[in-house]
Amino acid sequence: MAKGITWSIEDADHMTQAEIYGEVLTQLAKKNKKIVALTADLAGSTKIGRFQKDFPERFFNVGIAETNMMGIASGMAATGLIPVVSTFAAFAALRCAEWVRTDLCYQKRNVKIIATHSGTSFGQAGTTHHCTEDFAVMRVMAGLTVIAPADAYETAVAMAQAIEMEGPVYIRIGRSFEPPLHKSIDSFDFQIGKAIQLHEGTDIAVIATGRTVNGALEAAEIAGGQGLSVRVLDLHTIKPIDTEAILKAVQDTRRIITVEDHNVYSGMGSAVADVIAASGKGCVLKKLGLQDEFSIVGYPDDLLHYYKMDADGIVEAIQQVMKMDFEQDEDWEDEV
Amino acid sequence: MALDAAELKRLKQKARQIREDIVKITYTCGGAHIGGSLSQTDIMVALYYKYLNIDPKKPDLANRDRFILSKGHGGAGHAVILGDLGFFDTDLLKDFNKTGSPFGMHLDYLKVPGVDASTGSLGHGFAIGAGMALGARLQGKKWRTYVVLGDGELQAGPIWETAMAVPHFKLTNMTTIVDRNMLCIDGSTEEIMALEPLRAKWESFGWKVLEIDGHDFNEICGAIDEANDEKEKPVVIIAKTKKGKGVDFMECDKKWHYAGLDEAMMNKALESLKKGAK
Amino acid sequence: MPTRDELRTRLFLNAALPLVKVVREENKTLRHITSKLNGVVQFEVKGTDWGAHLIYGHGELEFQRGKHEKPNVAFVFKDLVQLNNFFSGKSMMMAWVKGLYRLDLIGATLPMLLSLKMLMPDADPKEPAKRALKVKLLLYMVTSALSQLNKAGDELMTKLTKGSPDRVYQWSVPNGPSAFLRMKNGKTKAGRGVYTRRRPFVLMRFSDFEGAYQVLTSKAPLVEAVKRGYVVTEGAMEYSKEIGLRMQYIEELMA
Repeated sequence: MAKGITWSIEDADHMTQAEIYGEVLTQLAKKNKKIVALTADLAGSTKIGRFQKDFPERFFNVGIAETNMMGIASGMAATGLIPVVSTFAAFAALRCAEWVRTDLCYQKRNVKIIATHSGTSFGQAGTTHHCTEDFAVMRVMAGLTVIAPADAYETAVAMAQAIEMEGPVYIRIGRSFEPPLHKSIDSFDFQIGKAIQLHEGTDIAVIATGRTVNGALEAAEIAGGQGLSVRVLDLHTIKPIDTEAILKAVQDTRRIITVEDHNVYSGMGSAVADVIAASGKGCVLKKLGLQDEFSIVGYPDDLLHYYKMDADGIVEAIQQVMKMDFEQDEDWEDEV
Repeated sequence: MALDAAELKRLKQKARQIREDIVKITYTCGGAHIGGSLSQTDIMVALYYKYLNIDPKKPDLANRDRFILSKGHGGAGHAVILGDLGFFDTDLLKDFNKTGSPFGMHLDYLKVPGVDASTGSLGHGFAIGAGMALGARLQGKKWRTYVVLGDGELQAGPIWETAMAVPHFKLTNMTTIVDRNMLCIDGSTEEIMALEPLRAKWESFGWKVLEIDGHDFNEICGAIDEANDEKEKPVVIIAKTKKGKGVDFMECDKKWHYAGLDEAMMNKALESLKKGAK
Repeated sequence: MPTRDELRTRLFLNAALPLVKVVREENKTLRHITSKLNGVVQFEVKGTDWGAHLIYGHGELEFQRGKHEKPNVAFVFKDLVQLNNFFSGKSMMMAWVKGLYRLDLIGATLPMLLSLKMLMPDADPKEPAKRALKVKLLLYMVTSALSQLNKAGDELMTKLTKGSPDRVYQWSVPNGPSAFLRMKNGKTKAGRGVYTRRRPFVLMRFSDFEGAYQVLTSKAPLVEAVKRGYVVTEGAMEYSKEIGLRMQYIEELMA
């Protein structure tokens, strides 16, 4: 995308975002007979229903029993199958936290979790169905790969790569109606563990993940119009985190803003902070997200705005951080 | 069909030997879930010495039967059997509970050959077993899955999610046994959180229920035979047992859920076992 | 809150009338005929500030909101209702015409105005060129109308715009016309073409001219249209519904 502000209608693709992941999973399942899918009464909502249609004998709906689903997935993985389980993030990561920990991670089972309606993307459903704590809980599961794709294309590729790799994987997405970030499924280079640089810049780096990435890119373009050079990193993999890309951003800009549809405590921002602190390099970090609060009801796009995680909120944060002096010298008196 | 006299004797002797080993290991490792290990022994012996199609030299044998001790705290009792069968050198057991040992209160499937799942957190093993049975059927495998549940464990909600799912998915390629020793940590299951009418509960969930004396090999084997042959509904065997079975001062006493033994107590226990084995 | 008649007048004058410019641009003959014209043609409601006018000059045709000091021609309506009936094709009545002697201006303007009849729901031209023109006109009219509704203070519309962050609603036909509505904190602006300064908040991408025709003439309700692939909506799902509601509202108002 050119520096400055240009966006063209031609940049969007024609398959609805919601269809893409279901389509890709079905393609993969055609080739790999070991893939089975499980859901807890959410086949329609999580779009895994497509799989059900094409492979009914490999699809299992356990009803509203998420922990049972995880346990069964563990057992199935033990027989050599590759279970893909899907439910809302709040249930996958929080209700099932112990199952993910003990039956999937500790026992190293090859189960792939697609956690949908994460963050505040389920807007109108309210706090009980939001999940702004899953990065925190899933990050801390040893052996778990944690991914937050930015759009449906990334989700599809992430899922394909997750199925290729050995070990449990947690992929967290929204409702599947999020706008596309990329032009098409092969217009970008996606590797689990490697952040994607969407915009070059040297004044400040915005590291975003999941459904906030679109707004981060937009913010960079707007700020670019104001004369600022903003780097944008799509940090789709929370764990293993791309230390190299983060350190480079630290080195080149010394100013970092993280954006996540998640509590700012123990989420992606905190993971980035770990990297910054370990490096010993001076750098300012501002974390955008829910400021240790529970989310409210609202349309999901309005919530992005409300919590200042949209382009406007990020631009505001950029302006704030650019004004900050973080060097030690606050004393402007001449030495005598 | 009743067991023949030789078979019965073999199993009973093995059960007594295992109980002795459990007592000894409780002494050496500083403490174990001895009550539950003793109550489950006859069931475990029947399974491991008569039914399970396994090979101690090939713990990862693809078509072996699977066994899940969902009441994972019975690990000491389980380890002793696996050692006796030759899954590993029994010498390793003397470091039970020590730093870096593959053996702790709850057996680690990644570290102990012969263990199919790491259980301990109650309510998990049942679902894992169901998943194995489901995976077996989907891939056309003929091996069987056995799950042993604790009765206190039945107080946990997740158990009933699986109890609904197994008949729903018609998983008749698994056999479920409840070690009904009537006790959980804080006391009688009926006082803490009553399970009765337990038979009615399972039946209403779509199971065929067999209630047996969990210390009578004829009944145990008869029930397992029936369960393995049953094709219509999955079978749960509610085995009435005594926590601490075989050691007179431990039987049915909640304090022996988890305990240590000094040498004197160990000898008392061994003696009680010898006496009872008439 | 403006009355229904006031809203209708506003939409006819400020959203529909300006479209004669487009009609003229698309028609070589018309352009030629009107290229030498000079003068101001006004539409007004007697004794009120309601009005709008067309300015011919320098080979161009311009549109201006409000009343001109000294229009050469003025189509005067006795009240809002009469103006509304005229523009909605219900009647040809007006109070009187000032400047009847300027037959050149009248002769150029009236036919162009009458050609706007193609916007009516019962007008269903068969020629692809005419259908394409109708799509273009409807696109421009809808976006302008939405903006005018907001500027009028219509509650249904201001509910959406009040306190809104900077958001752009974009409609587009591939290899065809596009139009947008930008709203920010109570203000709105309708525009033609693609808004390039930021990504659209809601993008309604029609499959082609025919798809756009079906949707914009409401021959296919939005849900049907999406199912049939006439239009793909991207961006904030809830808001594409909200804007769709208001598009319907406009259609009802201008019927």
